[in-house]
Amino acid sequence: MYPQRPPTYDELMSVTRRHFLGASALGLGAFALRQVMGSSLLAGDAPMPLAGGLNGLPGLPHHLPKAKRIIYLFQAGGPSQFETFDPKPLLRQQNGKSLPESVRGGQRLTGMSGNQSTLPMAGAFTDFKKYGKAGIEISDLLPHTAKVADELCVIRSMHTEAINHDPAITFFASGSQIAGRPSMGAWMSYGLGSLNQNLPAFVVLVSKDATRDQPLYSRLWGSGFLPSEHQGVQFRAGKEPVLYLTNPEGVSPHARRSMLDALSKLSAEARQHSLDPEIDARVAQAEMAFRMQTSVPEVSDVSGESQATLDLYGPQAKVPGTFAANCLLARRLVERGVRFVQLFHQGWDQHGNLPGAIRRQCSQTDQGSGALIADLKQRGLLEDTLVVWGGEFGRTSYCQGQMTKDDYGRDHHPRCFSIWMAGGGVKAGHVHGQTDEFGYNIVNNPVHVHDLHATMMHLMGVDHERLTFKFQGRHYRLTDIAGQVVQEVVA
Amino acid sequence: MKPRSIVIGSSALIALTAGGSLWFYVMSSPLSAPSVVATQAIDFNRDVRPILSDHCFACHGPDANKGRKAGLRLDTPEGALALLKSDHRAIVPGDIHESAIVGRIHHTDEEEVMPPPDFKRPLTPEQKNTLTQWIAQGGRYAKHWAFVKPQSTPPPKVKLAQWVRDPLDTYILASMEKAGLIPAKEADRATLLRRVSFVLTGLPPTPEETEAFIADVSANAYEKQVDRLLASKRYAEHAAVAWLDLARYADTAGYSGDPEMPVSPWRDWLLNVIDRNLPYDQFITWQLAGDLLPNATTEQRLATAFNRLHRVTFEGGSIAEEMRKESISDRVSTFGFAFTALTLECAKCHDHKYDPIPQRDFYALSAMFSDIDENGLLPYHGAVPVPVLRLTNAEQDIKIAALQKAVDVAQQRFDECQRLHSTAAINVSVPKPDSHYSLETLDKGATPNTYGKPATTERHRGDQLGKITLSDGKVGRGMAFDGDGGLWLDGFSGFSSDKEFTFSTWIKAGERNQRAVLLHASGFYTNDADATGLELMIDQGRIRWSCIQQWPGSAIAIRSRQLLAENTWVLLTVTYNGLSRAAGLRIYLNGELAESETIRDHLTGPIGGATLELGSRSRDSGFRNGSMDEVKIWRTELTAAEIAQMAGINPDANSLAEHSLFKGNTAYLQARNELRSAQQTLRNYVDSIPVIVTMTQTAYTRPTYILQRGAYDQPDLKRAVSPGVVDAVLPFPQGLPANRLGLARWLTSNDNPLTARVAVNRVWMQIFGQGLVRTPENFGLQGDAPTHPELLDQLAIDFQKSWDTKALLRRFVLSATFRQSSVGSEKSVTLDPQNTLLSRGPTQRLTSEMLRDQALFAAGVLVEKFGGRSQSGGSTVDEYKSDPGESNRRRSVYTYRKRTMPPPSQQIFDAGSREVCQVRRLTTNTPLQALVLLNEPIYFECARGLAERSTREANDVTTRIMRAFKLMCGRSPRSTELSALTELYNQQRAAFSKTPEDARKVCGKIDADLAALTLVCSTLMASDSAITLR
Repeated sequence: MYPQRPPTYDELMSVTRRHFLGASALGLGAFALRQVMGSSLLAGDAPMPLAGGLNGLPGLPHHLPKAKRIIYLFQAGGPSQFETFDPKPLLRQQNGKSLPESVRGGQRLTGMSGNQSTLPMAGAFTDFKKYGKAGIEISDLLPHTAKVADELCVIRSMHTEAINHDPAITFFASGSQIAGRPSMGAWMSYGLGSLNQNLPAFVVLVSKDATRDQPLYSRLWGSGFLPSEHQGVQFRAGKEPVLYLTNPEGVSPHARRSMLDALSKLSAEARQHSLDPEIDARVAQAEMAFRMQTSVPEVSDVSGESQATLDLYGPQAKVPGTFAANCLLARRLVERGVRFVQLFHQGWDQHGNLPGAIRRQCSQTDQGSGALIADLKQRGLLEDTLVVWGGEFGRTSYCQGQMTKDDYGRDHHPRCFSIWMAGGGVKAGHVHGQTDEFGYNIVNNPVHVHDLHATMMHLMGVDHERLTFKFQGRHYRLTDIAGQVVQEVVA
Repeated sequence: MKPRSIVIGSSALIALTAGGSLWFYVMSSPLSAPSVVATQAIDFNRDVRPILSDHCFACHGPDANKGRKAGLRLDTPEGALALLKSDHRAIVPGDIHESAIVGRIHHTDEEEVMPPPDFKRPLTPEQKNTLTQWIAQGGRYAKHWAFVKPQSTPPPKVKLAQWVRDPLDTYILASMEKAGLIPAKEADRATLLRRVSFVLTGLPPTPEETEAFIADVSANAYEKQVDRLLASKRYAEHAAVAWLDLARYADTAGYSGDPEMPVSPWRDWLLNVIDRNLPYDQFITWQLAGDLLPNATTEQRLATAFNRLHRVTFEGGSIAEEMRKESISDRVSTFGFAFTALTLECAKCHDHKYDPIPQRDFYALSAMFSDIDENGLLPYHGAVPVPVLRLTNAEQDIKIAALQKAVDVAQQRFDECQRLHSTAAINVSVPKPDSHYSLETLDKGATPNTYGKPATTERHRGDQLGKITLSDGKVGRGMAFDGDGGLWLDGFSGFSSDKEFTFSTWIKAGERNQRAVLLHASGFYTNDADATGLELMIDQGRIRWSCIQQWPGSAIAIRSRQLLAENTWVLLTVTYNGLSRAAGLRIYLNGELAESETIRDHLTGPIGGATLELGSRSRDSGFRNGSMDEVKIWRTELTAAEIAQMAGINPDANSLAEHSLFKGNTAYLQARNELRSAQQTLRNYVDSIPVIVTMTQTAYTRPTYILQRGAYDQPDLKRAVSPGVVDAVLPFPQGLPANRLGLARWLTSNDNPLTARVAVNRVWMQIFGQGLVRTPENFGLQGDAPTHPELLDQLAIDFQKSWDTKALLRRFVLSATFRQSSVGSEKSVTLDPQNTLLSRGPTQRLTSEMLRDQALFAAGVLVEKFGGRSQSGGSTVDEYKSDPGESNRRRSVYTYRKRTMPPPSQQIFDAGSREVCQVRRLTTNTPLQALVLLNEPIYFECARGLAERSTREANDVTTRIMRAFKLMCGRSPRSTELSALTELYNQQRAAFSKTPEDARKVCGKIDADLAALTLVCSTLMASDSAITLR
């Protein structure tokens, strides 16, 4: 048997001209094809029990996956590790003293604090305690996260290459600082396909209650050079959860059904005349759009959730668009077979006034995050759902700007920061990696962004070196030319 | 040629098909040598190079710097035939047993097999077979087709010669006939007119145009239609879109907060030159180097904005040099994709892995595109980043020339007057300053000003730390700075480039400051990008004194040659004469004019500037470890004699003479006033004229070095490069200037093997849906070989004669190949599912622009206005409701493109984000597309418009439906279609009769007929006949 090979950009270019029977060998269009040919797939709403999805690539997953879906709780702006997951008593002891030059080792700083005459160390204003059997140290600002400490795998040794928001968040989202590459979710959708027929494979939720300090960009969930069907679909709070989902005013679902029936007759006629199989695929997509008109409002409607569940996520869970509500929605989405859900919560960019601002950030995100883990766990979903929490970089151990008794700020710091993962085949109650006592450099087990991506893909059953896409003559992958699976965090 | 066959060992024969030729692969046992039987000769370019390139060159290719394994290089015959350290040769022509490569690719041992398993790109048995067979046949290399100048070959012989309308058809027909196919019949006229109208203008024909064409019995009926379409301005509005994708044109800067970049005048330039069919060689030359043409016009300069359309950031903390290098790389890589179809950016970090493009070539091209005086960052204060072009019209040009003449005359007169020898004795006395801070006390963050508001320390921004303290001064107490804290001279503003100014202070530097702000008037600070107004710095231990609009491109600045003394009090005085020249800036140390060098002498716009601050600037290096005392400011220029007197020294004779001239010579004073007045008049006139980014060659070029691993801060100082080209394509001809103009000449030279081929291929793609080279962005080794190489070459050679794009398009659409029906024979579809051989007409799904424009056009609401500002496309409900007027109804080429949030419905239909150069778009098919067509406000409005129009233009249900169908699909409905739509109409009419409020919501009034027809029209908009071009 020949090694199976994903289609190239060039092959996909010719998709509209592809002959009906020729289509089955390739990923794109095969989904629609199966919908047309195998109506049995349309029957149930239950998520498919397959690891490989409906329109995934042949040969994927590469190995038995530990996780089938991912929820990524992206904390945009760069949360400080010092007030969350990486306690540094030394900074508190030496609060206000200059960071020794030897620690910094001449590494570059941003243009914001790089010209400061002094770099005074800033101890965290918060205390840490040990939680769970594992005794993971977590800040007092995160009591709900702390409750699920035994489910967490905290990585204190993340590092990245970019030092400014735009390139750094683009790097996390797509494995490259350069715009135009596919995002994580797009790669997953492309490689593994969808687990359901009524919802997109990749859904994006942006918090409405966040402080919009640094902007988000649609490239963060874009499909880059992959076909646009793999781009993330943003669900919004409000009347129209997905753009263009709602019928125009005055057009009833009944009327829409009749329109689709008429469309189907027109298509049959066109098909007969043109012999073009793409027409069938288009009908199938229109039908999926019709189903989405029911399935999306259904998934967005939490009125059927028990009081106990709503209480778990807290009072904000009933306010659509908040981080807590989005966490609950994320659970509902993965339950229904969405492959990759990515939440974005802005507001972590605390150059100044850090104590006040991070308290607010934590109170907005802590309960939802903790509840999501607990909820997934109680439903038996955590074991094959990977949850990731983290931002695009960390923050400096020294103060940026004016330092007073109870106020300080921290600049961007790409050299080390903390994230956590849970479920989906990662070690529970585990801490990986260590930073020095100044919280400036990594002491052991560094995890690069590419390593994180490689690990996430590994857990999903994908060899990150083999999920490639040939574009402009090069075989691109999410991990570029790097990335090592961090076996130490795999359970 | 008679195929050679080699059979070794006893093996089973299995038939395989590969690349259209039949192979017999011999399954050999692991121990025996590989063996093959071929029935067709191997072609290196077609069969072998793609395998070597994709599977071998990454380690055994052109990249000499890093990772070439075992000293083996397989991209050249010399490398492949060389004796290796291992005493083997990779390839021994004709001898598969002696050729090490054959054994290695067939090896079963994971340690030995090539490519190695961890490369994760194994060879298929057929690929191994091809390589083996190629070596058996002699292992001959050929130069990569794209780097060989196009060759003319006589048109091939064809059987069906009467089918041919243009020589190009001969080539197409020949390959069809070779495969046993015949052309499809000609498309019917309605289909053909819809097809040609869309591919040339992006809009459908009207039913009347279609009917007229069908009724036209003249022999040149079709030619007339083609000429009408090519003469239409709609042609430019359509053809521009592909170039806008490629030029990564958008209306915003693309990073971070994504502010607006006013570049639509460049888009209008593009529309204009496409409309008037500017020859392609000039089209290229203007965009690359319009500013360097002799007597360049505004239009030619405007074209060069092409090179500045890349993204640019103002994010705080960004590093200017990093972003400047990023911008230059973007220019090079866009140049590569657009004009040469080469993936140049691969050579940014190392030698190209596949193509013969050393890293040096990338930086030689970088040197071409780094010839402007730019900062690299977007100024936070919102100015268009220099260099800029004033968008003047002819009338303004005349006026400006006259005003400039007046300035030149006044300048000449002033220069003459400066040389006058004035002898009148004028008393020297230092005038009273406008502000004087003696810096004796600091009370609640304030220190008094003898003549006005006190200075304060209270204006710290959130991220500023540090403080100033009282210290020993030159006279009594003074003020010590820590580098972070500053002193704000509140209420002291109102400086401009046409006003005189003098600043004086005692200063003591406690160290050799490499960079320290002494005085500035800028607001925010990011690496000089926001520096504006008057600025006094210590720069590498010397005094720098500047007047800045934008640094460095629009500024005047001087720097003292002498180092500032340390640990001693120095009286530092700087003056400016308000005449916008570096010659009008002076630095005095201890009362004596300091010798200085000019750093910049090119101030082209109004300087900004807010409150003056001493000793610090947010996010910059302040006057660390330094002190000041007795700070004084005058709103006049003090003379050298006055400054000497202030320092307690006797003015010399020259100073006194100059003092006499400046203060007492009527002719001089008059000349000075006249010059100032002429400058002000000019400035007042030009400053209100909008500007756009452009390319302007600067005298202040920075050297270009090869960057190690492409990192902006890792220049290899031993490897400076001068401007140059990709030599493997065509060596840079002697006698051409080594700049962008020379680059354009190199590109448009008839000897350049790429330019014409790349252009012709892209135009072919526009018309036929896919190029003769399927990878229009990559003609390199990893790209596809042309499907019809002789045709591509012939078209390129023809194109080079006139560079006439419209003529090329005309040939294509008049060809018999284009006129074929897209419904092919069963044989055509079976043998050639991808229509590579073009034995049937092209089929394309309409682009996002075509879909939207068609809907507006069919509804009769399209607002056609050529050029102008970008406007909302009505893509979202909010956008749609916010501006229900004209802006939502213009052609999509004018839709406002925000890079970080492109119009969602355009993205859903595969338009890119315009963040980087895009040569072609994918065509996908998703549920969201159906949602757009049925629910997006603009489409539904068009459905209603189409229903209203059909109701107006026809009298009964059937004819109305037929009318709508014709308007939307360009033909009459077939009976099944008509009955499906009529049934829908009847159902919905009945339903709306029962729910009149729904009818009102759908069509604005209680009219069940119109509401039902609206839903019919909406359905039509999503139908295959509307969205697919057949």
